[in-house]
Amino acid sequence: MTSTTRIPRRNVLKGVGMAAAASLVPGAFRPLYAASVAPITIVINQSPWFESFRKTVEVYEAETGNKVELDVNPFAGSLEKQRNSVRASAGQYDILIMNSGWFAEMYAGGFVEAITDIDPGFQLDPEVYTLGDTIYYDAADKTMTKAGKLMSMPVSPLIPMLYYRGDLYEEAGLSAPKTFAELEANAKKFHNPPGMYGIVQRGARGPHTVAYDFYPYLYGFGGGIFKDQSTGDYSVTLNSDQGREALDYYVRLAKEAGHPKTAASDQAEVIQAMVTGHTAHIMMVIAAWSQMDDPNKSAIVDKVEWAPTPSVEGFPTSPGLGHWLAGISKNVPDDRKRAAVEFLRWFQTKAAQLETAKAGGIPVHAAVYKEPIADERRYRWMKPLAEALPHAVNIYQFPEASEVISVLELGLNRAVAGEITTVDALNGMSDEIEKIMAGHAYKTGKLDPLK
Amino acid sequence: MAAAQAQIQSSPRRPTQVFEDRGQRLWRWLTFSPALAMMLALSVLPIANLFLTSFQNITWADGQQVRTWVGLTHYQALFSDSLFGAGISNTLIFAFGAVAGQMVLGFAMALLCTKIVRGRVLYRAIFILPILIPGIVIGAIWKLMLNFDFGLVNKALGLVGILPHDWLGSPETALFSVIVVDIWHWTPFCFLLFLAGLESLPQDVFEAARMDGAGAWQELIYVTLPLMIPTIVVTFAFRLVLAFKVFDEVYLLTSGGPGTSTEVISFTLYQRFFTEDKAGYGSAMSVTVIFLVSLLLVVALSARRRTGATS
Repeated sequence: MTSTTRIPRRNVLKGVGMAAAASLVPGAFRPLYAASVAPITIVINQSPWFESFRKTVEVYEAETGNKVELDVNPFAGSLEKQRNSVRASAGQYDILIMNSGWFAEMYAGGFVEAITDIDPGFQLDPEVYTLGDTIYYDAADKTMTKAGKLMSMPVSPLIPMLYYRGDLYEEAGLSAPKTFAELEANAKKFHNPPGMYGIVQRGARGPHTVAYDFYPYLYGFGGGIFKDQSTGDYSVTLNSDQGREALDYYVRLAKEAGHPKTAASDQAEVIQAMVTGHTAHIMMVIAAWSQMDDPNKSAIVDKVEWAPTPSVEGFPTSPGLGHWLAGISKNVPDDRKRAAVEFLRWFQTKAAQLETAKAGGIPVHAAVYKEPIADERRYRWMKPLAEALPHAVNIYQFPEASEVISVLELGLNRAVAGEITTVDALNGMSDEIEKIMAGHAYKTGKLDPLK
Repeated sequence: MAAAQAQIQSSPRRPTQVFEDRGQRLWRWLTFSPALAMMLALSVLPIANLFLTSFQNITWADGQQVRTWVGLTHYQALFSDSLFGAGISNTLIFAFGAVAGQMVLGFAMALLCTKIVRGRVLYRAIFILPILIPGIVIGAIWKLMLNFDFGLVNKALGLVGILPHDWLGSPETALFSVIVVDIWHWTPFCFLLFLAGLESLPQDVFEAARMDGAGAWQELIYVTLPLMIPTIVVTFAFRLVLAFKVFDEVYLLTSGGPGTSTEVISFTLYQRFFTEDKAGYGSAMSVTVIFLVSLLLVVALSARRRTGATS
């Protein structure tokens, strides 16, 4: 299903009026960053952070007079539309909003043009998060490092954070859990079903559901899926002892302090459990923060606090990147490519990112997190997020990631549902992932099966 | 008379008549060929392309498609694809389970409707309501109905002291729940066909049975059911083929989970072809599914022929 969002003419006129006023009063408003350029179309998904992006685009249109059309889709629908557009002889979308699960496919397939190839003078603001350097791509080495070209701009630096009920913690005299042991103890303490669950996890099988929920546990226990992607070693390490500890913990948490329908809970249901006051903790992408304090959606306004996802002693918080990047299609006319660059040039500024934050989005500019806004009660998630972002893990650096995600979604969901044991799940998933990587001629291997 | 007819049949046609016949045949082909060409272009060519793709791998480099011939590799891989196996077995359970339920309920409702004298139109309208609702709305309705925390089903069970159950999230009940939703959705289809069949049955046979002293039960077993067999077979064949293609209900309610408990073949196909972007392998799976559905259709149609059903 697709909906096309057009920016109301009144807002544009309002913005043009403001811009005109700004030009008459020097220094009263920030300067205009973008020149008048061709209209562009952005294909995007309907995520919890979409509204903030839409509002930021409105500000851009108002400030510059440039036109932006948004083609809004569900998660899977957005990928399908992007594939269809970039594989056609002439693309329909100028800017692709790509998820961490598929941007590698777009880079490696040669569908995205490097920003610096379109405008060699383009400078990335040094305070913009590079998110595991996933905005760069070296086509020769097939790696994502600064040695590569600048391929995209971060749009939403999403990582999961621990959402916890600050009011309950205060009553119980507890502080935010830093380790998994503390989280488990606290979750059990608050677990009193069916009115209150210790934690609600996102255990359903979906496009990127239970796997994404599991990454902070897997990496927080010191495990991983591959040995070392940055050096091209794709040996599968999922069924390591750390992987087993992580999955055992995840399943135990679901059984002993979680919701009975964990195996069928998706993102919307997890958020719903939190905003209706039925859970003490969730681990969720930070994009859902604005729903917590929205009195029209939440029964727990001002009661939620945020912390980096826990880990075991000796390991830092390790949230999996579930971020979104904006790349420019290769198969669109040059004037539209240049217009897309102008939008991104504006979007990366601190001022634009401040607008994003005010609109409920997650800024990609580090300086915004040091602004007074970060001290406001409403934006209390900003400091924990800034603390966690440097530790974010880029889970996939190769274009066939969707095949691996499918394997993880099924295997993890079966383990959570109790269809198979955690050991069988880990061994089975490792075998399948190794087969996928070997099938695509990556250097791979696997550990001895767990017993 | 017979000899005269034989003579007429064996008499040679005049040369002008042969010429007229050829002209007519040519004209027929000329007028028929655009439709044939369109049919070929719209149905045969895509399937031929699918078949060809099933022997290839498709990758992308520098924005260009790269096709590599892999022979029967994809077909061989189907045998070791656990998702495909689960998809086939669940689809069979789903198709036969759901269609059986729909047939029994649809027949009972149609029978009931023929006996009703007052408000018949109203009953008909109510009975066919679910089939008019779009699949996406059905997904939303039943996702809410079966919700663990605030679903109507668990609330109703709670009134009689039964603890809430996770209908869609438990491997034991997820497929059963999807079957129930499908029965609710598609029973009106069977109801409509059965109602049309029942209303077209010759009434004199029933009158004769009644004069012979047949009761309602005997009338149903010995008169109605035998006369309805052609309709029953056709309805069964239609529904079975449609049930084999189920996708929306599974996608919306369970996404194939938990685990593989509601994995159906269309969903597996969607995963492999679209989500994982494996066009070659997905094509091999598609060709196999087309073959299986065709096989089902052939079996159903031959059963229909054996029962003497007329089209």
